[in-house]
Amino acid sequence: MEYKASELISKYLRSRKIPSTACSGCGLGMNHKIVVQAIQELGLGVEDIIWGTSIGCAGRQTFATWKGDGFAGTHGRVYAIARGLRVALPPEKHLILTVGDGDAFGIGLTHLIHAARSNANMTVIVNDNLGYQSTGGQYGWTTPQGSKTDSSPYGMFEHNLMSEGLDVMHILKGAGATFLARHVSMDGLKAVETVKKAILNRGFSLVHMPYPCPTNFASRELGSRNQVNIYRWIKDHAAPLGQEKEDTIWATGIWYDASNSRPEFSQMVWDTVDKIRRTGKI
Amino acid sequence: MKRFLETGNFAITEGAILAGCRFFAGYPITPATELAEAMSLRLPQEGGVYLQAEDECAAMHMCIGAALGGMKAMTATSGPGFILYADPYGWAIGCETPLVVLNSGRVGPVSGITGAPGQGEFYLTRYPTQGGNFETIVLAPNSAQECMAMTVEAFYLAERFRMPVTVLADQLITDGFEDISVPENDGEMKEMSFRVWPRKINQGPKFYPPSDEIDIAPVVLGHNTGALCSDWTPTEEGYDIEEVEAHHKHAYRLIYKVRNHRDLFSHHYDKKFMSDDPDLIVVSFGTPSRVVNSAVAKARSQGLKVGALRLINLWPFPDELFTARSKYLVVELNWDGQLVREVQRAVPKDSKVHFLGICGDLPTMHDLLTTFEKIIKNEPLSRRGWELEAW
Ligand code: SF4
Repeated sequence: MEYKASELISKYLRSRKIPSTACSGCGLGMNHKIVVQAIQELGLGVEDIIWGTSIGCAGRQTFATWKGDGFAGTHGRVYAIARGLRVALPPEKHLILTVGDGDAFGIGLTHLIHAARSNANMTVIVNDNLGYQSTGGQYGWTTPQGSKTDSSPYGMFEHNLMSEGLDVMHILKGAGATFLARHVSMDGLKAVETVKKAILNRGFSLVHMPYPCPTNFASRELGSRNQVNIYRWIKDHAAPLGQEKEDTIWATGIWYDASNSRPEFSQMVWDTVDKIRRTGKI
Repeated sequence: MKRFLETGNFAITEGAILAGCRFFAGYPITPATELAEAMSLRLPQEGGVYLQAEDECAAMHMCIGAALGGMKAMTATSGPGFILYADPYGWAIGCETPLVVLNSGRVGPVSGITGAPGQGEFYLTRYPTQGGNFETIVLAPNSAQECMAMTVEAFYLAERFRMPVTVLADQLITDGFEDISVPENDGEMKEMSFRVWPRKINQGPKFYPPSDEIDIAPVVLGHNTGALCSDWTPTEEGYDIEEVEAHHKHAYRLIYKVRNHRDLFSHHYDKKFMSDDPDLIVVSFGTPSRVVNSAVAKARSQGLKVGALRLINLWPFPDELFTARSKYLVVELNWDGQLVREVQRAVPKDSKVHFLGICGDLPTMHDLLTTFEKIIKNEPLSRRGWELEAW
């Protein structure tokens, strides 16, 4: 089902914050819409979701867009805040975090791994603009190798989390995440279906969603701010899992689905507290 | 009233529980580990949650999360962990999140001496995060019993001021065994002057008034009030805004909600032999104050007109206690002199301020008494190496 953006906005988002102050042509809005549409299709209401965000383009531009309750954490620490909040919130409330790649895979990676380890019920949407774009465009931990950025004028030459067979998904799977997926913004309705599954998993879910940044990433790497170029470039370097080509950077689709297979963190914590109270042991 | 022979860590745990704390997150560090252990034992018995974090930064962020979910939360550490609170401490100040932090001081800098007492974080607790434009509240107990009282009080102040409050103790108080009375009901709590403020839920839509008001319910998420909080400058409704004037209003609130309600701290000090305008006032906080009190009593019996002023409320600094034109001696568990700088600033212009710094151990009665005598007789302080270094 396709929804008009205006319907989604009036039902779920704050008119004061939409449109956001993102640069024109930014692909973040596509990711944002995918998430809100997934929420709509699941029949969830404003009151069912607490929306957390991080710092950077992805965090700042999505903060306070949700009509309901929301928060923005310090850079990289939102996963730790979310674990504490998860314990205090009623279990039926969904916790959705829209964060950036620098936040999740750089400064916050330890906390992210521990959130996955604990299998705390949250849906982390990593909106990947391929580096640190709100600070002007420095390379990050998923910036494709060889990319020219403001801090890699000769091309990004370090090993990173998306090069030479490495994939950040392996780390998160090993850490205990129960739902992992990747889509690029142009995956549209396919991505909506995936995000729905991510939200329904009572445990730690993460969807990695690279999106086009025409302003900083594209102008340096592709030499053009024309959004068509960067949209095409991202699309060309993405392929469904199993159909990867030589130059595929992002293998898309559901990477790992062990939804509802491991006990959820807050549930386990409260069950244990309850048992200790009643019997003095676990 | 139940009585125990127990540690300061035990007292803090029981104080936190009495204050309604049901969430603790921490990272093991000497000498605050025993507190984490006590919490892990006691909180589940009271229906509360103990969580171990991957580091101190995460620990305090987890407390922030729990507080945002409506729980009273606490974390504890020592100096090397306290610096990792810089990030969440600032966030909690800005978002006005009630929390309690315990710092059990050891000898620094860096890892220093783990199992010995120090008071190197007097200023760090005043400025635990970057950027300035805020006040902090810091309470310093000097006994296990007072650890309990100050933990209860810290939770009370945290709720009323909507901010993190630090209890600054040291290794000797938190690890040492002492007689402790734990109240068992509201009557006994009152008898011990324990004040408790319940967690309230801000209903919005204005979450951040540009005023110095206190007793405003904090942001609690999950009640569909449209509550917002972030690390950016908030509008009254919690939206992020980047504008100096709006930020000035926000900072005004963070500074003056504390400065303009100093009356709430007015009982947070202890005076001994101070009623007859002593020739020398000995200023200290925390464990060293116990030796100071004994030394001052002894000095009095020897005819020296010495008084003791012990600070419990370290920040905001109680300038009003330093009006006497007298000589001052500041005794601290550090060698660089921290409290002494504040005392120097607060005393009347022509007062002479001396410093006695010792670290890793307490000053001896002998050290104190000879120092008192010399200062009163205007004799130069003898220098035994760095221990009596001029400040
Ligand atoms: S810098 Fe790039 S990612 Fe950030 S808002 Fe502008 S276009 Fe979007």
